[in-house]
Amino acid sequence: MTNHWIDIKNADCVLIIGSNAAENHPISFRWVTKAMENGAKLISVDPRFTRTSSRADIYAPIRPGTDIAFINGVMCYLIENNLYNKEYLVDHTTASYLVDPTFGFNDGLFTGYDPTKRMYAKDTWKYQLDENGIPKKDPTLSDSQCVFQLLRKHLSRYTLEKVSNVTGCPPELIVEVAKTYGATGAKDKSGTILYAMGTTQHTVGTQNVRIYSMLQLLLGNVGMAGGGINAMRGESNVQGSTDYGLLFHLLTGYLKTPRVENQTLAQYLEATTPKFNDPKSVNWWQNTPKYMVSLLKAYWGDNAQKENEFCYQNLPKLSANCDHIAMFEAMYDGKIKGLIAMGQNPAVGGPNVNKERKALQKLDWLVAADLWETETAGFWTDPEVDPKKIKTEVFMLPAAASMEKEGSITNSGRWMQWRYAAVHPPGDAKSDLWILDRIYQEVKKLYAADAGVFPDPILSLAWNYGTGEEPDVHMVAKEINGYDLATGKLMAKFADLKDDGTTSSGNWIFCASYTEDGNMAARRDLTDAPNNIGLFPKWSWCWPVNRRIIYNRASCDLQGNPYAPQKWVIKWNAEEKKWTGDVPDGAAPPGAAYSFIMRTEGHARLFGFGLADGPFPEHYEPLESPVKNLMSSQQNNPTIKIWAGEMNMVGTPDKFPIIATTYRVTEHWQAGQMTRNNPWLVELMPDMFVEMSNSLAKAKGVKHGDKVRVSTARGHIVAYAVVTNRFKPFKLNGKAYEQIGLPWHFGFKGLAKGDSANSLTPHVGDANTNIPEYKAFLCDVVKEVG
Amino acid sequence: MAEKAILLDMEKCIACRACQVACKQWNELPGEKTTFFAAAGGYQNPIGLSPSTYNLIKFYEVEEQNKLRWLFRSHRCMQCVDPACVKACPVTPVKAMTRDENTGAIHVNRELCIGCGACREYCPFTIPVIDTQAEKSTKCTFCFDRLGNGLTPACAKVCPTNCLVFGDRDQILEMAHKAVERLKMKGRHPVIYGEKELSTGTKKIFVLPEALDYYPDLPKNPKVSEDLGLFNELLKPFGTLTLTAALVGMVLAKIREVKEKNEVKS
Repeated sequence: MTNHWIDIKNADCVLIIGSNAAENHPISFRWVTKAMENGAKLISVDPRFTRTSSRADIYAPIRPGTDIAFINGVMCYLIENNLYNKEYLVDHTTASYLVDPTFGFNDGLFTGYDPTKRMYAKDTWKYQLDENGIPKKDPTLSDSQCVFQLLRKHLSRYTLEKVSNVTGCPPELIVEVAKTYGATGAKDKSGTILYAMGTTQHTVGTQNVRIYSMLQLLLGNVGMAGGGINAMRGESNVQGSTDYGLLFHLLTGYLKTPRVENQTLAQYLEATTPKFNDPKSVNWWQNTPKYMVSLLKAYWGDNAQKENEFCYQNLPKLSANCDHIAMFEAMYDGKIKGLIAMGQNPAVGGPNVNKERKALQKLDWLVAADLWETETAGFWTDPEVDPKKIKTEVFMLPAAASMEKEGSITNSGRWMQWRYAAVHPPGDAKSDLWILDRIYQEVKKLYAADAGVFPDPILSLAWNYGTGEEPDVHMVAKEINGYDLATGKLMAKFADLKDDGTTSSGNWIFCASYTEDGNMAARRDLTDAPNNIGLFPKWSWCWPVNRRIIYNRASCDLQGNPYAPQKWVIKWNAEEKKWTGDVPDGAAPPGAAYSFIMRTEGHARLFGFGLADGPFPEHYEPLESPVKNLMSSQQNNPTIKIWAGEMNMVGTPDKFPIIATTYRVTEHWQAGQMTRNNPWLVELMPDMFVEMSNSLAKAKGVKHGDKVRVSTARGHIVAYAVVTNRFKPFKLNGKAYEQIGLPWHFGFKGLAKGDSANSLTPHVGDANTNIPEYKAFLCDVVKEVG
Repeated sequence: MAEKAILLDMEKCIACRACQVACKQWNELPGEKTTFFAAAGGYQNPIGLSPSTYNLIKFYEVEEQNKLRWLFRSHRCMQCVDPACVKACPVTPVKAMTRDENTGAIHVNRELCIGCGACREYCPFTIPVIDTQAEKSTKCTFCFDRLGNGLTPACAKVCPTNCLVFGDRDQILEMAHKAVERLKMKGRHPVIYGEKELSTGTKKIFVLPEALDYYPDLPKNPKVSEDLGLFNELLKPFGTLTLTAALVGMVLAKIREVKEKNEVKS
C-alpha cells in the first residue's frame, strides 16, 4: 500500500476492484465503514456479487480479465468530460513530457515488437531530450507528442459502447462509476483504490495494477490522505516476503537480482543505477551502490572487501526466469532434484496442480516445513497416485505457527510490527529461524568436509545469531537494520549507508527500524501526528524512514500548501523552513525537488516504458476466452510466455464455453491447512462448492445443492452447486456468456476435504511478473451422475 | 452496573462470522458436523441454534427490480429487559434461567437446570435450545463471565467493522437512532428492533437496513404467551423436590391441549 489500513477512513470514495476486501481482508472494512460513516461512497467492481458488493453504493459487474478495458473506458470518459486534475498532472506526473515521434501503436501492438521472440525492442519508447539531456515538456499538455495527448489518443478507442461489449458492464454503470469516482478529482477530495489478486492474477496483471495507478494520477489521488494505490496483500506477512527478496528477480529492498550480463559488481551497478540530468530530480535509486555494497557486507561480513568486489561473485546470476511456473515446469522435466517447501502448499495453491503434483513425483527429495502434513508434503498419499511408484524421499519438519515465535511481520501498510511468542510450539515444532539455522549449520559442515564445486557462498557467510538453542531474532533484526562497521553502532538511517564497505544493511529500506534507540517495530505509542489523520507515527515502524504515506510531496502544490487542508499529510512551514506532518518524501523545500523521488524523472510515469508489454495498458483477452478481442487482432498479451509441452493444454470455447474464476472466502485461508483443520471453520464451510447463475443451472438441469462436474482442458473436479442470483451471465456484443466461481482452498487432506480448483487452472503467467492467470479461464459444467 | 446492551448495526455487517467463531471459542463449544450449506441465500452453517451454537449469522438474498440485496443477520438470544424465560423457569427457590445480579445478563445456571424446555416454550423468539442428552437449556449467556471481569462480550470484541458495539443501553439506543438517520439519507428503509419490542425492549438492539419483511424468520410483533401465568399456577403445588423435566413437560402438553381446543372452538 502507498498508504495504510487506517488511512482508508480518510477517503471520499473507496473503489474496490480486483479485490473482495470484505471477505478476504475483513479488517479493511473497519476503515471502509468509518469512511462511509463520514459520507464516502463505496464502489465494488467485480465479476460476481460478493460480501464486499453487499455493502457498496454502486456494484459494477465486469467479466474476469477486462479491468484494462473498464478503467480505460472510465479514464476516457474523465478526460473527454474534463473531470481530471490538470494541475496535478502537470506538476507531479510525466503528462507534459514529449515522447519520441518514432513511438507508435497500431492494432494492439506498440512499436518494436518482435513476434519470434515475443518481446519488444524498446528503443522507440523514450522521451525527446533537450541539449542537456533533459526530457522536453509541454506544460499546456497540448503538444500532440506529449504523454497526455498520446494517452488520450490511446484511450479514445475505449468508447462506452466498446467497453460495455468487452466487459459486459452496462454503459450507464460505467458512467456512474466514472462520475462518482471522478468526483475525487477535485483538489481537496481523495479516493482510494483497494486491489488484490483479482487484479494481479492475469496475463495482464501488472498492467492491471498500473492502470489503477494511472487513474489515481489522473485524479490527483496519489500522496493524499485517503488516496493512493493499495494492495490488499494476500497473507499477513507477504509484504515482508517481497520486501525481503523472496521473489526470484529481487534481492532485499527491491534491489535487482544480478543477471548473467552483470558479470562484475561494476557491471551490475552500471546496469541497475539510473542516471538523470535534471537537478530537480532526486532520483533516489542513484544510491543503489550504497545499498548493494551494504547488503553484500551484511551477507559476507569481513570476507566482503573492495578487492573481491565485496563477494559479489558469491551471488547467483540469473540466465532465465525462475518464477513459480518455470520452476515447476523444470521440475516436471526432471531438471530440479530437490525442493524445500516452507509454509507453502503448491499441490493445492499452484496453477494446474495436476501437473505440479506430478512434478513433485519426479523429485529426489522434498523437505516440507509446515503445521500439518499438507497436500504437498503428502503428495504421495494422493488417492489418485500409487505410492509404490514414487521414489521421492520426503522430510516433514514440524513448524511453529506465527503465535508461537517472536519476530516481526510487515503488514500491507508497510508497518513492521514486532510480535512476541504467545505460547510454546507443540511437540518438536520449531521456528523457521531455528530450522534454517540448523540446515545452514549442517550444509556448512558438509562443505567444510568436502569442498564441493563452489563452497565460498556458504563457507564465507557472516552468520552470527548468538549461541543459544534458538537463534537470536533480535540479532537478525539488527543485521537487517545494519551497522556502522567502524564504530559497531547500529545505523540510524539509510541516508548514511556507504558504498565503500564501511557500513552494512541486510535490507536498506528497513534501515532505521532497529537503532541505538531500540527496536522501533516494538513501539506501541498511540499518539497521533499533528495532522490527526490516523498516522500514529510512534506505533510500530514503517518503511521507508517511518513515512506512513509515500509520495506525500504530491499532496501539496509547488508552494507546499496541501491540496486538502482538512486532511493534510505534510505542509511547508515557511518560518521554520521545514515540513511538518508525516515524514516527507525528502526534506528539500517545496518546488526545489520533484515529488516522485523514486522515479528517475521525479514525476509519476503515465508513459510506462519499463514494462514488457507496452507503455500504455491495452486490453488483451485472457489465454482462454470465449470471445475474440474487440480492441485489436492481438487476441492475447503478445509478450506472455506460452508453455508448450505435456499437460499444458489450452481450452477453446467450442468445448469449454463457460468462463471460470477462482477466489478465496473469509472462512478459509490460502491452501487451507490452517483453516481446513479448524473444526469451527470447517463447520462454516465444510465442502468444495461452485457458484453459478440461475440461468446456467437451468440450462444444465442443476439444482442448488446438486453435485456438478467442472472440466477444463487440464482436468476436472466435482463440487456442490450453489445456485445464486449473485452470479449473472455477461452480455457481450449482444450475446450472453455464463461464468462460474470456485474457491481454491480445498485439497485431499485435513478435516475438510474437497477437489482442488487449481486442477482446472492453466500454466500461464503475466508478461512482467509471471504471476499465474488463476482468475480467468474456460470450463464446462455438467450435473454429476450417481 | 448500568443496563448494558449490544448494538447490532447489520448495515455494517460483512458476514465474516468472526462473532460466531468467537462465541464458540469463549464458550468452548465444539464445531458442528455440517454438509454443503444449511440454507439457500448464502453460506449459512449450521442450520440453526443448538447446544453447540449460541450465535449464528443468517444470509438473505433478495432480488427486486434487478436490484440485488445480500443481507445478513445475527441470530441469537435477544436478552429481553423483562425476560419471559426467567419467569417461566420452574426451578425454585433459585431459578436455573437466571438474571446475573452484577451484569444483568440472562443466562442458564447449568447446575440447576433440569432441561424442561419451559424457557424455550415461552421465549417470544423461540431461542433457547434444550440439550436433550445433558438435559440442559442452552443459549447466549451475554458473556456474563466476561462482563463480570470488565471484558466486552466475545462477539463484540472481535467484530472488525464495529457492527457489534457493547455499551450502556441508553447510549446504544442513541447510536441506533443515529444509524437509522444515516441509512434513511441513503434511501434505505431501516428498522430498529429491540428498543420497544415486548414493550420494555431487549438488550440486543438491532439496526436492520431494510424493512422486517426482508427477515421473514424474525417475529414482527413478538409476544409472550398469555398462558405463562397459568403455567406457573399449575406448577405451584409441586414444590421444588419432585420437579422433573418429564413432569414440566406434561404440564406444558396439557396447556397446549387446552389451547388447541380453545382454538378449535373459536
